[in-house]
Amino acid sequence: MPPQRFDQARPFATLGAVIVVWLILPAAVKTFSRATFFEFTAPIATSASYVRDLQEYWSLRAHSNSDLVEAGRDLARVNASFAVSAQHNGELEAEVTRLEGLLHLPALPGYRLESARVAERDLGSSWWQRFVIRKGRNFGLTEGAPVIFTGGVVGRIKEVHAYTAVVELISSPGIRLAATVDGDSRPVSYEGGDNPTFGRPRGSVEFLPLDIFAQASQPRRLVTSGLGGVFPAGLLIGQLVKIEQSSDGLFNTGIVQLDPRLSDLTEVTVLEPAPAEAAPPP
Amino acid sequence: MASNHPEPTDPSGRLVQSHRGYDPRVVAFYFLIAALLLVLVGGLGYRQLFRSDIYHARERMQNQRRVLLPGPRGNIYDREGRVLVTNRARYAVVLYLDELQGDFRKETIRIRKNYRATGDHDIPSLGQIEQIARVSVVQQYLDQVNAILGRDEKVDAGDLRRHFGRELLLPYTLIPDLSAENFARLTERLPVVSPLRIYASSARAYPYGSAASHVLGYVGIDEDVDVEDFPGEDLTTFKMKGFVGRDGLEKNFDAVLQGEPGGSIFRVDPAGYEVKPPLEERQPRQGRSLTTSLDIDLQQVAEQGLGDQTGAAVALDVATGEVLVMASKPDYDLNAFSPRLMPDTVADIERRGAWTNLAVGGLFAPGSTFKTIVSIAGMKRGISPETFKVDCEGSLKVGNRIFRCDNGLGHHGDIALREALGESCDVYFYAFGQETTPEAMAAQAREMHLERATGIELPNEKRGTIPDPAWKEKTKGEKWFPGDTANMSIGQGDVLVTPLQMACLAASLARNELSTQPTLLHDPNRPRQHTESIPLTPEQRAALVEGMEACTNTTYPDDTASLLTTIAAYRIPGVRIAGKTGTAQVHGKGDVAWFICFAPIEHPQIAMAVAVEGDNPNEGFGGAQHAAPIAAQVMKKYFEKKARAAAASAPAVTLAR
Repeated sequence: MPPQRFDQARPFATLGAVIVVWLILPAAVKTFSRATFFEFTAPIATSASYVRDLQEYWSLRAHSNSDLVEAGRDLARVNASFAVSAQHNGELEAEVTRLEGLLHLPALPGYRLESARVAERDLGSSWWQRFVIRKGRNFGLTEGAPVIFTGGVVGRIKEVHAYTAVVELISSPGIRLAATVDGDSRPVSYEGGDNPTFGRPRGSVEFLPLDIFAQASQPRRLVTSGLGGVFPAGLLIGQLVKIEQSSDGLFNTGIVQLDPRLSDLTEVTVLEPAPAEAAPPP
Repeated sequence: MASNHPEPTDPSGRLVQSHRGYDPRVVAFYFLIAALLLVLVGGLGYRQLFRSDIYHARERMQNQRRVLLPGPRGNIYDREGRVLVTNRARYAVVLYLDELQGDFRKETIRIRKNYRATGDHDIPSLGQIEQIARVSVVQQYLDQVNAILGRDEKVDAGDLRRHFGRELLLPYTLIPDLSAENFARLTERLPVVSPLRIYASSARAYPYGSAASHVLGYVGIDEDVDVEDFPGEDLTTFKMKGFVGRDGLEKNFDAVLQGEPGGSIFRVDPAGYEVKPPLEERQPRQGRSLTTSLDIDLQQVAEQGLGDQTGAAVALDVATGEVLVMASKPDYDLNAFSPRLMPDTVADIERRGAWTNLAVGGLFAPGSTFKTIVSIAGMKRGISPETFKVDCEGSLKVGNRIFRCDNGLGHHGDIALREALGESCDVYFYAFGQETTPEAMAAQAREMHLERATGIELPNEKRGTIPDPAWKEKTKGEKWFPGDTANMSIGQGDVLVTPLQMACLAASLARNELSTQPTLLHDPNRPRQHTESIPLTPEQRAALVEGMEACTNTTYPDDTASLLTTIAAYRIPGVRIAGKTGTAQVHGKGDVAWFICFAPIEHPQIAMAVAVEGDNPNEGFGGAQHAAPIAAQVMKKYFEKKARAAAASAPAVTLAR
């Protein structure tokens, strides 16, 4: 073989060698490599997100004083409204606790709320619908923990790294929840779907009882059932906009339209199950 | 060998093969090869042209499988559209074995290696190791489910082997009938991509539990699901189990309620596992629904009234014959039949004698309620209700026997038909019956359909027995005695009827017609029934109805069912009820308490019959105390509902200022 031909084949030989080496590497090394990849890239993603935050900060600084004053007023109003809601919720919570005590019901599982900033999104693929948040094991996050935002369910934590965590969105086909149609107690199964890159995210629902109806003009709210033990009950998943009969004829299937804000979230809250409280002494 | 051809001058010509000419010895080989090729081509052509259909059919049989799915059954509603029987989702965790071929292979290799490593000489055969491997792999998946649900389920190796042998295309059920909570837990916690899936099927659900259990009936497993006009009948077919009606309306209307099955045809790989997508698919469809004439509110009142006694209550719409209530006790909780009936439940039902629907399958002597028939028969023969009087002194000698009056104080005095019906005087009817003759009484009872099955849409309906001298001679080979006539006059002896027949009799009396055809199907546009009128003069009918009304009010001090007007709980203001009590003595058993009635007398709407069996022979059981209150409660509820509906449909009145 002429030397020139050998030179031309060198990249392929190198690639082949790398593939062979990767194939014969022990599984532990491969797992370690994958794990460390995230740890090595995490600072870059986190830094980039801080830079974006800074960019946003400076862009906000460019607003006029009157804009800031107006925004401040709006914020004050929202804060006041939230303060009233928080007070009302506190009263309701106390009432629920009192009734639970009267009926000797076990207390519902509590959650520790951990707010986290979105560092990086990976929504480009129709298959992977996930993003990275700027908190990980350093804040005690665990795999499988539910993630929510003001509009309802965001998804679940898929992977936890030292300083970051990967959140799988409810639009992803890899996620499944036990849900109920608002106002009905029968559990149904929600699954993410194959979502178009720039389209509105959506999922599908299975095992819908035949007597539940919904359409685009009269959508029904789909909420978490609370029965699965992962998500608390009543969190909004999306709007049930279309129903079709399933192939077995026993149930219906449905299309669920998700919140369009899912694709540009900047801040989410992770619900970490709180450790069970010790039983009071008899 | 030398050649005559000149050597080529061009050196490159050496590279060209030269043709050495024609060799006749090779020709034979050419022919031989040609012949062989011809055989091959001929064989190929033969198989392609003439045998291809056979091979195609064989290939199809070998590579394709058919799976049939039953369609869900239709619902059953009461007359107001409330669901009495429906389908509930039945969730199960199943394992798709076709996705585990690699796991089975790996596990088989691992187990063999382990045997060899231990130096065991008694190594099982490959087939046995494969079975062990299958159980092991399936158990691993079951352990995942156990961990989520906090259970400790084990794989049944025999069941798994059977599944592999017979139903490989169907998913293997690990845990059947999950609760809603467990369904939700598994939905959230099982991996989305996994051979473990949640499979949903349907089971019958009964929102009202045991209410109307005998009427609604139950279903059993149907292993012979079949789809019409669906291809692949010759293929190996796997059938998912469906349901078929076994009793009650579920059985009688099985063809209506039964869903239309669906199916699919799959290609399978050499190991028998499914290759997706299916070649053919048809969705199952739900069966049609049934609206019964029952009113579940009234039904529940009747069943509560019967309580834990043995008996039956039937209420009919007088105009249409639609059955509003058909209660039979003891009964059973239909939810215990779903998804399948367990041996313990069967034993319990048998022990309590709860299988029989006493409303259509229970034969009881009608007792004094039969006096209505005797009255009609006698009046038709010309006995005057006004002038035919009997002085009841507590007993009457008939033939050589003394027959006692068992009702009231036993001394009713000189009474006519109205009083005799109101106070249910046996002595009066002993005499009245002798005048009427047994043949006339039997003919009247038969004319009013007491000897034939009503033809209601239920299985196992019994027909009554109406004796007369000819019947006794034929059936028992015995002579008819005057005492038999006396017994028959008060609905005793060999007279036997079902509560449904007596309810039909009450409805017929209400309409003054000879018969009533009952039905369990509701039709809001059903026309009023009309049969031949009972041939009584207005005066005679008045005597009958007034006598029956007297039975339920305080006109006479000893009226047997006067508690309907004296006890507030049973009183229905503004509604006049015509009724007749009865207490039939059964030799060696407890008495049977009866009450038949219709109301309101002016425009009858509802007719009822209640029969309750006593537990002990000397219990002191009576129709007035034990049967009439049940009828009263049902009628009270009926008229309350009527009044509420009338008030709701009345136009609103606006007061102008």
